[in-house]
Amino acid sequence: MPKKSKKPQTKREYPPFWEKFIPVALIVITGIVVFLLIVIISIALGIFPFMK
Amino acid sequence: MNFMNTFLPFGSSLISFAFAVVLFIRFWQRRGLHLLLWGIGMIFYGIGGFCEGYFGAFGWNPLIFRLWYLFGAILVAAWLGQGTVYLLAKKTWAHGLLILLTLGSIYGLIRVFGAELDPSLMTTSLHTGSEMSGHAIVSTGVRSLTPFFNLYGTVALVGGAAYSAWIFWKKRVLLHRTIGNIMIALGAMLPAFGGTFSRMGISGALYISEFLGAVLMFIGFIRATSPIDDAEEDSPIQI
Repeated sequence: MPKKSKKPQTKREYPPFWEKFIPVALIVITGIVVFLLIVIISIALGIFPFMK
Repeated sequence: MNFMNTFLPFGSSLISFAFAVVLFIRFWQRRGLHLLLWGIGMIFYGIGGFCEGYFGAFGWNPLIFRLWYLFGAILVAAWLGQGTVYLLAKKTWAHGLLILLTLGSIYGLIRVFGAELDPSLMTTSLHTGSEMSGHAIVSTGVRSLTPFFNLYGTVALVGGAAYSAWIFWKKRVLLHRTIGNIMIALGAMLPAFGGTFSRMGISGALYISEFLGAVLMFIGFIRATSPIDDAEEDSPIQI
């Protein structure tokens, strides 16, 4: 019977800076996209008077 | 003629054309319809920038305005986004959407080139008239096309780049592609933001954001296609 490896499995990680920066950037991008979509749809529907 | 209204858009145009050349060379070497479509999108970006610079340098010209509105305001985001659709969606979906986009683009061309124009209307609303503005279009039903193309383009291009970055981040692989995709997403959002601020009457916002957007997307593409070290595997591009 083959022996199970007792080597602890380590989780792959990016360098510390990128580990913190990337999720923040992705959340910001998602927020901005949602904002832009609201603006674009509002322009299409003529909701914002200053957008005309 | 000044820096903001002339040299900045000409700069955006030059960067966009250079980026398009890089994409076409890559397409020639590797194939992949997404590269061709991104290249076409960046040509449209470059045409838009050139027309803005021309307007800043030489003033009103109806042909330049129509080219700017068609390529710079209506088509650019949608064609760039279509490239991302080819990369991330099933081929049958991508083909179907490309047919729709092509038909929509032909319709847009007919409407823009058939539209009645009045350049004096560019100083209405909050605009100063120093930048190109769709207000010059008198005919109804032309400007209302823009949000639909931009909606599709923004969701596909920004959403696709952010989604790719998230997938790489979740697996903690190919850091250069994660960073590159984030830069592309940010770069693609900037012109949309600039357009919104421009509509609010903030002078220069559109041209600055277009310039920075072209620079960020170009750097992002180079970053995404250049491994950080030799240990990183060289898998197909995911932007």
